[in-house]
This record gives sequence, C-alpha cells and structure tokens, in this order.
Amino acid sequence: MNPISDIDSSTGPEPLTLEQTRQIIDSQRARVDAALVVDESRLYTAWGGAWLVGFLGLWATSGPDALFPSARAAAFGLFFLLLVAAMAFTAVHIARATRGLRGVSATTGRMYGWSWCVSFSALPVLIFSVERGGAPRAAIDLLWTTLPALLVGVHYMMAGAMWQDRTGFVLGGWIVLSACLAALTGPPAAYLVMSLAGGGAFLVAAGWSVTRQRAQQRGSGCVSAP
Amino acid sequence: MRLGAVTAPFELDPVIHAAARLRVTTTLAALATGDRIAFPRLQALLEMTAGNLSTHLRKLEDAGYIEITKTHQGRIPATYVALSARGRIAYQDYLAALRSLLAASMPASSVGSEASGA
Repeated sequence: MNPISDIDSSTGPEPLTLEQTRQIIDSQRARVDAALVVDESRLYTAWGGAWLVGFLGLWATSGPDALFPSARAAAFGLFFLLLVAAMAFTAVHIARATRGLRGVSATTGRMYGWSWCVSFSALPVLIFSVERGGAPRAAIDLLWTTLPALLVGVHYMMAGAMWQDRTGFVLGGWIVLSACLAALTGPPAAYLVMSLAGGGAFLVAAGWSVTRQRAQQRGSGCVSAP
Repeated sequence: MRLGAVTAPFELDPVIHAAARLRVTTTLAALATGDRIAFPRLQALLEMTAGNLSTHLRKLEDAGYIEITKTHQGRIPATYVALSARGRIAYQDYLAALRSLLAASMPASSVGSEASGA
C-alpha cells in the first residue's frame, strides 16, 4: 500500500499539516457536539420559567389573603399553558438533537421517556382516588402541587445517575427537598415555595450549565485534551 | 528546519489522515459506544454529497473501521453507520500520535511563526 497516493487521492495534492489536522478535528467535534448534544441549560430555562411564573400566579390568586383572588382560573390556565409550552419545547429539542440516532443511547433515552410518561399518567389516578376516599380539598391541592415535583426530582436524579450529570442530580435532589418544604409549609405559601425554590433552582442550574459549557469551550480542544 | 511546511509523517494512520475521512471518523467517534447514525444525518453533519460520503465510508469499511447496517423503516430502506471497535481504537491511536507530533513540534513552530511574521 502506498500511503501517499491514498492520502492524495482524497485530499488533493497537498497533504494535511499537523495544524490543519488539529483544526479539522476540533471544529468538526464542536459542530457535532452542538448538533447532537441535548442542551440541558435550555430545558432548565424553559421549565424554570414555567414553574417560576406559573406557581407565582397560583400563589398570587390563592388563599384568603390573595393579591388577585378573582384571577384564579386565569392563573391555572396560564400555568397549564406554560407547562404545555415547556413540554413541547423539550420534546422538539430532544427530537432534533437525537434524530437519526439508533443504538444503546436511543434505547436508554426511549425507556427514560416512557418512565416520565407512565409515572405522570399514574398521578391523576392516584390523586383522584385519594379525593374519592374523602381527603379534604386543601390536601388534594397539596398533592397536585408536590407529587408532580417529586416525580420530576426523582427523574432528574435518575438521569443524573445514568448520564453522569452532577448538575441534574443535584437539581433533582433539590426539587424533592422543595416539594417537601412546600408540603410542610402548606397552601397557599406552598405555591410560592415551588415558584422560588423549584423554578428558581431550574434557572440557577441553567446558569451553571451555561457557565460550565463556556469553560469547556474555552478549554483545550479534543486533540490537546488529555 | 522549515516548520511551516511540516506535514504529518506516516505515523498517522493514512486511512484516517485525509480531510474527509478525518471528519467522518471524528463525527462517529463523538457517538457513544453502541450508537449508530443514519446516513442522511451523518451527511448533514458533514455537509458532504451522498456520493462523496459513500466513497469515504467504503474506504473506512474496507479497513474495518466502521460498520454499516442496512435496515428498513417501514418500507423505506435506511442505512446506519457506526465506528467499529477496531475503528475506535484506530481513532484513539491517531489522536495520540497527533498529540505527540504536535507536542514535539510546538517549541520550534513558535519560532517558525515568528520567522514567517518577520
């Protein structure tokens, strides 16, 4: 085999210099990472915004000392719309990043997705059953506020464990704690706890992820990395 | 020694050391072990024509560096590409060789750049 003719047949007359080689690898790697990697910071921002604004709206319109008691239905509607928007954004972002990929990661991701779907489908069944058993309205409201947050927190911890993502793992643990804190606080302040401690934590995690991504981009490329 | 004109010597695997195949293997190496990518998505990430990409994939397949899986999605045929275990090792070896060559050329290349800038 003649290596020179093999190189020349596909790269033109000039062989690659070492520096050109390094640049090709680093730029292609950056391009692939930007296209294939799910950007958690965007997902955290979407969910953080939805929780922060949505729960704040519920808090401002609930209880005897509500700031805007007449707008309670509107606050529920707004929260629902925000959650649907965050869900749609998440689905589109993940679908775009992972399209055309098959194999172990895709299977893991699909099973993880089904875990969200199945557990959240179970929620209304459980809570309506508790309500039918005679639980008071305030307790049901508390379950609707904290149980979804518990599932979210547990899923983030699971994802952190599976994909070695410490930010996601810590965020998940914090959301579980926030749900406990909200339950202990009771309505209507529980909404405020979920807005600030829950939604706020998503936004802090988003900021942290962006900082970390920038630090990694500033660091050495994959050629000079150890 | 004219370092501006230094080209990679033969320690660098000639199957990988070509701009197009280097970009292909870099893309495939970014996937986790056990993952494969559809031909059209790979083509989009590389911005190569289908014919050109096929040519380079054939060379990589002949060297045993990639595995091509042909399957069907419904009635539409689909082609998936993955780095083989051998290809992943070859790519890692290639990166290691490149790093040592870059490290060896570094002090002198800074001299070379000063000379060319003067």
